[in-house]
Amino acid sequence: MEGAEKKSDVFKLSRDILSIQEVVDTVSSTSCGAISIFLGTTRDSFEGRRVIGLEYEAYEAMVQSELGKLSADIRTRWPTVTHVCIHHRLGWVGAGEASVAIAMSSPHRHDAQQAVQYCINQLKANVPIWKKEVYAGDEEGSWKENKECAWGRAKEAGGEGGEGGT
Amino acid sequence: MKSVLGDEALLRFGKVCVLYFAKSAELTGVRAEPVAVPTSISSRELWQQLLRRHPRLSLLQEQLVLAVRQQYVAIGDQTLTLNDGDEVAVVPPLSGG
Repeated sequence: MEGAEKKSDVFKLSRDILSIQEVVDTVSSTSCGAISIFLGTTRDSFEGRRVIGLEYEAYEAMVQSELGKLSADIRTRWPTVTHVCIHHRLGWVGAGEASVAIAMSSPHRHDAQQAVQYCINQLKANVPIWKKEVYAGDEEGSWKENKECAWGRAKEAGGEGGEGGT
Repeated sequence: MKSVLGDEALLRFGKVCVLYFAKSAELTGVRAEPVAVPTSISSRELWQQLLRRHPRLSLLQEQLVLAVRQQYVAIGDQTLTLNDGDEVAVVPPLSGG
Protein backbone atom coordinates (compact mmCIF):
# COMPACT_ATOMS: atom_id res chain seq x y z
CA MET A 1 0.00 0.00 0.00
CA GLU A 2 1.38 3.43 -0.90
CA GLY A 3 1.69 5.59 2.19
CA ALA A 4 1.44 9.32 1.79
CA GLU A 5 5.15 9.84 2.42
CA LYS A 6 5.83 13.53 2.52
CA LYS A 7 8.46 14.39 -0.05
CA SER A 8 11.14 16.70 1.29
CA ASP A 9 13.46 19.36 -0.09
CA VAL A 10 16.40 20.26 2.11
CA PHE A 11 18.80 23.00 1.05
CA LYS A 12 21.74 24.09 3.15
CA LEU A 13 24.47 26.68 2.73
CA SER A 14 27.24 26.22 5.27
CA ARG A 15 30.83 27.14 5.97
CA ASP A 16 31.32 23.71 7.53
CA ILE A 17 32.87 20.69 5.81
CA LEU A 18 30.20 18.75 3.91
CA SER A 19 28.98 15.51 5.41
CA ILE A 20 28.06 12.88 2.84
CA GLN A 21 26.43 10.82 5.56
CA GLU A 22 24.20 13.74 6.43
CA VAL A 23 22.93 14.21 2.87
CA VAL A 24 22.40 10.46 2.47
CA ASP A 25 20.49 10.26 5.73
CA THR A 26 18.36 13.24 4.66
CA VAL A 27 17.05 11.49 1.54
CA SER A 28 16.95 7.89 2.75
CA SER A 29 13.56 6.25 2.67
CA THR A 30 12.31 2.70 2.89
CA SER A 31 10.09 3.47 -0.10
CA CYS A 32 13.16 4.10 -2.23
CA GLY A 33 15.46 1.55 -3.80
CA ALA A 34 18.02 4.11 -4.93
CA ILE A 35 19.91 7.12 -3.69
CA SER A 36 21.90 9.00 -6.28
CA ILE A 37 24.64 11.36 -5.13
CA PHE A 38 26.79 13.98 -6.81
CA LEU A 39 29.79 15.52 -5.10
CA GLY A 40 31.62 18.46 -6.61
CA THR A 41 35.21 18.58 -5.42
CA THR A 42 37.96 21.16 -5.67
CA ARG A 43 40.70 20.34 -8.16
CA ASP A 44 44.24 21.38 -7.41
CA SER A 45 45.08 22.72 -10.86
CA PHE A 46 43.71 24.84 -13.65
CA GLU A 47 45.51 25.41 -16.95
CA GLY A 48 48.84 24.45 -15.48
CA ARG A 49 48.54 26.61 -12.38
CA ARG A 50 48.39 25.13 -8.92
CA VAL A 51 45.09 25.87 -7.19
CA ILE A 52 45.22 26.00 -3.40
CA GLY A 53 41.50 26.51 -2.94
CA LEU A 54 38.25 28.24 -3.81
CA GLU A 55 36.49 31.05 -2.00
CA TYR A 56 32.69 30.88 -2.35
CA GLU A 57 30.10 33.57 -1.81
CA ALA A 58 26.35 33.63 -2.46
CA TYR A 59 23.23 35.77 -2.66
CA GLU A 60 21.85 33.55 0.06
CA ALA A 61 18.18 34.49 0.04
CA MET A 62 18.00 34.07 -3.70
CA VAL A 63 19.88 30.74 -3.55
CA GLN A 64 17.02 29.39 -1.46
CA SER A 65 14.36 30.59 -3.88
CA GLU A 66 16.25 29.39 -6.96
CA LEU A 67 16.88 25.94 -5.43
CA GLY A 68 13.18 25.77 -4.60
CA LYS A 69 12.31 26.48 -8.22
CA LEU A 70 14.89 23.94 -9.38
CA SER A 71 13.50 21.23 -7.16
CA ALA A 72 9.96 21.94 -8.34
CA ASP A 73 11.20 21.70 -11.93
CA ILE A 74 12.91 18.39 -11.17
CA ARG A 75 9.78 16.98 -9.56
CA THR A 76 7.75 17.87 -12.66
CA ARG A 77 10.24 16.11 -14.91
CA TRP A 78 10.87 13.07 -12.68
CA PRO A 79 7.76 12.66 -10.50
CA THR A 80 9.05 9.61 -8.68
CA VAL A 81 11.90 11.55 -7.09
CA THR A 82 11.07 11.36 -3.41
CA HIS A 83 13.58 13.40 -1.37
CA VAL A 84 15.99 16.07 -2.54
CA CYS A 85 18.95 17.37 -0.56
CA ILE A 86 21.42 20.00 -1.76
CA HIS A 87 24.28 21.22 0.42
CA HIS A 88 26.67 23.90 -0.82
CA ARG A 89 29.63 25.33 1.01
CA LEU A 90 30.41 28.99 1.47
CA GLY A 91 33.75 30.53 2.30
CA TRP A 92 37.05 28.77 1.85
CA VAL A 93 37.14 25.28 0.30
CA GLY A 94 40.63 23.83 0.05
CA ALA A 95 41.86 21.70 -2.82
CA GLY A 96 40.57 18.16 -2.43
CA GLU A 97 37.51 19.14 -0.42
CA ALA A 98 33.90 18.87 -1.58
CA SER A 99 32.06 22.12 -2.31
CA VAL A 100 28.63 20.80 -3.28
CA ALA A 101 26.66 17.67 -2.52
CA ILE A 102 23.39 16.71 -4.21
CA ALA A 103 21.47 13.61 -3.11
CA MET A 104 18.11 12.33 -4.34
CA SER A 105 16.12 9.20 -3.69
CA SER A 106 13.57 7.42 -5.86
CA PRO A 107 11.93 4.00 -5.87
CA HIS A 108 13.96 2.94 -8.90
CA ARG A 109 17.36 4.30 -9.83
CA HIS A 110 16.67 5.88 -13.23
CA ASP A 111 14.85 8.98 -12.00
CA ALA A 112 17.25 9.82 -9.16
CA GLN A 113 20.26 9.41 -11.43
CA GLN A 114 18.82 11.55 -14.22
CA ALA A 115 17.55 14.18 -11.82
CA VAL A 116 20.88 14.56 -10.02
CA GLN A 117 22.68 15.08 -13.33
CA TYR A 118 20.12 17.67 -14.39
CA CYS A 119 20.32 19.33 -10.99
CA ILE A 120 24.05 20.09 -11.05
CA ASN A 121 23.79 21.46 -14.60
CA GLN A 122 20.90 23.74 -13.67
CA LEU A 123 22.55 24.80 -10.41
CA LYS A 124 25.59 25.94 -12.39
CA ALA A 125 23.37 27.85 -14.79
CA ASN A 126 20.98 29.58 -12.41
CA VAL A 127 21.86 29.56 -8.71
CA PRO A 128 23.51 32.81 -7.51
CA ILE A 129 26.75 31.45 -6.09
CA TRP A 130 30.25 32.57 -7.14
CA LYS A 131 33.70 31.13 -6.62
CA LYS A 132 37.13 32.69 -6.77
CA GLU A 133 40.00 30.39 -7.64
CA VAL A 134 43.14 31.07 -5.61
CA TYR A 135 46.50 30.01 -6.99
CA ALA A 136 49.78 29.26 -5.26
CA GLY A 137 51.84 32.45 -5.05
CA ASP A 138 48.99 34.71 -6.23
CA GLU A 139 46.79 36.42 -3.66
CA GLU A 140 44.51 38.02 -6.26
CA GLY A 141 42.73 34.94 -7.52
CA SER A 142 40.32 34.72 -10.39
CA TRP A 143 36.51 34.79 -10.41
CA LYS A 144 35.27 31.75 -12.30
CA GLU A 145 32.40 31.72 -14.78
CA ASN A 146 30.34 28.60 -15.45
CA LYS A 147 29.93 27.84 -19.14
CA GLU A 148 26.33 26.93 -18.26
CA CYS A 149 25.63 30.53 -17.25
CA ALA A 150 23.87 32.45 -20.01
CA TRP A 151 25.54 35.79 -19.26
CA GLY A 152 29.14 34.66 -19.02
CA ARG A 153 31.85 34.89 -21.65
CA ALA A 154 31.89 31.14 -22.25
CA LYS A 155 28.43 30.10 -23.35
CA GLU A 156 27.53 26.37 -23.37
CA ALA A 157 28.03 26.05 -27.13
CA GLY A 158 31.77 25.59 -27.35
CA GLY A 159 33.16 28.64 -25.55
CA GLU A 160 36.53 28.65 -23.80
CA GLY A 161 35.95 30.92 -20.85
CA GLY A 162 37.51 30.94 -17.43
CA GLU A 163 36.00 27.81 -15.99
CA GLY A 164 37.34 24.36 -15.45
CA GLY A 165 34.09 22.64 -14.68
CA THR A 166 33.32 19.68 -12.53
CA MET B 1 3.17 72.01 -10.20
CA LYS B 2 5.79 71.57 -12.87
CA SER B 3 7.80 68.39 -12.76
CA VAL B 4 11.20 67.78 -14.34
CA LEU B 5 9.53 66.37 -17.44
CA GLY B 6 6.78 68.91 -17.78
CA ASP B 7 3.07 68.75 -17.04
CA GLU B 8 2.39 65.23 -18.19
CA ALA B 9 4.91 63.02 -16.46
CA LEU B 10 5.61 63.29 -12.77
CA LEU B 11 8.77 61.32 -12.10
CA ARG B 12 8.48 59.41 -8.87
CA PHE B 13 11.49 58.08 -7.03
CA GLY B 14 11.96 55.27 -4.54
CA LYS B 15 14.92 54.03 -2.58
CA VAL B 16 16.10 50.52 -3.42
CA CYS B 17 18.83 48.51 -1.74
CA VAL B 18 21.50 47.59 -4.28
CA LEU B 19 23.58 44.50 -3.50
CA TYR B 20 26.93 43.79 -5.11
CA PHE B 21 28.45 40.30 -5.36
CA ALA B 22 31.73 38.70 -6.36
CA LYS B 23 33.67 40.78 -8.87
CA SER B 24 31.15 43.63 -8.77
CA ALA B 25 31.67 43.99 -5.01
CA GLU B 26 35.46 44.14 -5.53
CA LEU B 27 35.08 46.78 -8.24
CA THR B 28 32.79 49.03 -6.20
CA GLY B 29 34.28 48.32 -2.77
CA VAL B 30 30.70 48.10 -1.54
CA ARG B 31 28.46 45.14 -0.64
CA ALA B 32 25.20 47.01 -0.23
CA GLU B 33 23.97 50.59 -0.56
CA PRO B 34 20.68 52.48 -0.81
CA VAL B 35 20.11 54.13 -4.20
CA ALA B 36 17.32 56.52 -5.18
CA VAL B 37 15.83 55.40 -8.49
CA PRO B 38 12.79 56.32 -10.58
CA THR B 39 10.00 53.88 -9.80
CA SER B 40 9.64 53.17 -13.52
CA ILE B 41 12.93 52.64 -15.33
CA SER B 42 14.42 50.30 -17.89
CA SER B 43 17.01 47.78 -16.73
CA ARG B 44 19.53 49.43 -19.04
CA GLU B 45 18.92 52.86 -17.49
CA LEU B 46 19.24 51.35 -14.03
CA TRP B 47 22.55 49.75 -14.98
CA GLN B 48 23.77 53.05 -16.41
CA GLN B 49 22.85 54.79 -13.17
CA LEU B 50 24.94 52.27 -11.23
CA LEU B 51 27.81 52.79 -13.70
CA ARG B 52 27.73 56.52 -13.01
CA ARG B 53 28.01 55.81 -9.29
CA HIS B 54 30.78 53.24 -9.78
CA PRO B 55 32.56 53.67 -13.14
CA ARG B 56 34.78 50.64 -12.45
CA LEU B 57 31.73 48.44 -12.97
CA SER B 58 32.31 48.99 -16.68
CA LEU B 59 34.99 46.29 -16.40
CA LEU B 60 32.10 43.81 -16.23
CA GLN B 61 31.07 45.06 -19.69
CA GLU B 62 27.60 43.61 -20.02
CA GLN B 63 28.59 40.19 -18.67
CA LEU B 64 26.04 40.49 -15.95
CA VAL B 65 22.36 40.54 -15.20
CA LEU B 66 20.43 42.24 -12.44
CA ALA B 67 18.15 40.56 -9.94
CA VAL B 68 15.11 42.59 -8.93
CA ARG B 69 13.15 41.19 -6.00
CA GLN B 70 15.17 37.98 -6.55
CA GLN B 71 14.16 37.54 -10.18
CA TYR B 72 16.83 37.77 -12.86
CA VAL B 73 16.48 40.67 -15.30
CA ALA B 74 18.63 41.07 -18.41
CA ILE B 75 20.12 44.48 -19.23
CA GLY B 76 17.79 45.85 -21.86
CA ASP B 77 14.75 47.94 -22.63
CA GLN B 78 12.42 46.03 -20.33
CA THR B 79 10.68 48.46 -17.98
CA LEU B 80 11.00 47.69 -14.29
CA THR B 81 8.66 48.84 -11.57
CA LEU B 82 10.73 49.52 -8.48
CA ASN B 83 9.19 49.99 -5.06
CA ASP B 84 10.71 51.60 -1.99
CA GLY B 85 12.79 49.01 -0.15
CA ASP B 86 13.13 46.60 -3.09
CA GLU B 87 16.34 44.62 -3.38
CA VAL B 88 18.30 44.95 -6.62
CA ALA B 89 21.41 42.81 -7.05
CA VAL B 90 24.26 43.10 -9.53
CA VAL B 91 24.85 39.51 -10.70
CA PRO B 92 28.14 38.68 -12.46
CA PRO B 93 28.40 35.33 -14.29
CA LEU B 94 27.63 32.48 -11.92
CA SER B 95 30.12 29.91 -10.72
CA GLY B 96 28.36 27.75 -8.17
CA GLY B 97 28.92 24.04 -7.90
